[in-house]
Amino acid sequence: MDTSKRDALAGFITREAGARQVTVTHCERLSGGAIQENWRIQGSIDGGPHDGAFDYVLRTDAPSGVGGSHSRAEEFALLQAAFARGVTVPEPLWLCTDSTVLGRPFCLMRRAAGSAAGHLLVKDGKLGGDRKQLAWRLGCELARIHSIAPAPGQLAFLPHGDGAPALRLVRRYRNWLDTQPLPRPALEWGLRWLERNAPEGGKEVLCHRDYRTGNYLVDGDGLTAILDWEFAGWSDPLEDIGWFCAKCWRFGANEREAGGIGEREDFYRGYEEESGASLPRAQVHYWEVMAHMSWAIIALQQAARHSSGEERSLMLALTGHKVPELEFEILDMTAEA
Amino acid sequence: MREIPNAADLLDTARELLRSELAPSLPPEQRHQALMIANAMVIARRQLEDGDAPEQRELAALGELFGLPLEVAPEQLQAELTQRNLLLCRAIRAGQADPGTVLHPAVQAALRMVYRAKVAQSNPRYLEGQP
Repeated sequence: MDTSKRDALAGFITREAGARQVTVTHCERLSGGAIQENWRIQGSIDGGPHDGAFDYVLRTDAPSGVGGSHSRAEEFALLQAAFARGVTVPEPLWLCTDSTVLGRPFCLMRRAAGSAAGHLLVKDGKLGGDRKQLAWRLGCELARIHSIAPAPGQLAFLPHGDGAPALRLVRRYRNWLDTQPLPRPALEWGLRWLERNAPEGGKEVLCHRDYRTGNYLVDGDGLTAILDWEFAGWSDPLEDIGWFCAKCWRFGANEREAGGIGEREDFYRGYEEESGASLPRAQVHYWEVMAHMSWAIIALQQAARHSSGEERSLMLALTGHKVPELEFEILDMTAEA
Repeated sequence: MREIPNAADLLDTARELLRSELAPSLPPEQRHQALMIANAMVIARRQLEDGDAPEQRELAALGELFGLPLEVAPEQLQAELTQRNLLLCRAIRAGQADPGTVLHPAVQAALRMVYRAKVAQSNPRYLEGQP
């Protein structure tokens, strides 16, 4: 980050924090997704309620955006709603929609310690503290997310859909497949199964919609923050349960069915104790099939960005090669006599 | 006359050097990239070795489902596969392969065979129960 941007940022923090002066001592680009740019910003604030040293994360959009995910302002509003409800998220501090400061909208949040790397977490038993406790905690946090009740107008940018969430997803995926040049019969097979077996729509809740290992931070003691709110929206709560427990998101630790880190029953128990209601366990399998379908569609979209030339990338190209195992898994999970 | 190493051999040999010598000596982010390259190379090698045999088998399986020829000329293979898969997709979406139909077990078996072969090319470890 060049000096003029650092100065602009320091000026912004000074105003927002009601301080006399702010010094930015350290800026470090963090590795993150393709959709956002994350920076670690450290320094000190002189005066005002935030007086002292600070360690923040700055989030802004990467130059190549991706449709379907939230803007920085929307994501900030989601973090605020979650933080207010007591969900373990990085504390959201300030949002800047003024592009004259850094050239793009951005937000600042307090940096949470820890690591998110999914493949490391499932292998290294020292990370994340006691795993039974971690699975329970992740269930508990999810139930809390699902209990978020925004004030009128607070999260108005989140659309409410028509009919059952499951059928909305089936429709959306069929519509997308119809835009593609090559037919994919395994996905059609899965979508027909998902259509025929769709649960009736019930109460929709605020779902995280990417709640899985890899999207939360842990340190040696346990959970430190839930991240990546850019796909959050109203849906069936079981969509999140299915995504978390789906085989495709266990990073190879298939026997640990809750996110590759623990037992299902510990995860479910945490959820049920927080929500005060029992989970309809028989319905979870449906949403795990849906999870594989959703991930297959996303993976195809990512591969298409590479193949079309929009963004040439080995990572995106190899993501396309994850699709066959997802399709195979869908066939396996939907096998009927 | 000695054959000079062919495409599959080159890919295998280069990949071995990448994995055994280069990757371990790199910092974490670059090592991860090197392993992605190695993965791309092994998938490419499998595709080279398999040629169009998997697609020929896919064509035959779809041919059996719909009473169509079990073989076509190589230059027509791609187009014919696309056509037959489109036919299959429409049938599935319309419920013509639902449980209880004559098509159901045949389509299920055909899809399992075809997609198992695709996984064998993209990530054979998955079939051993590994990621």
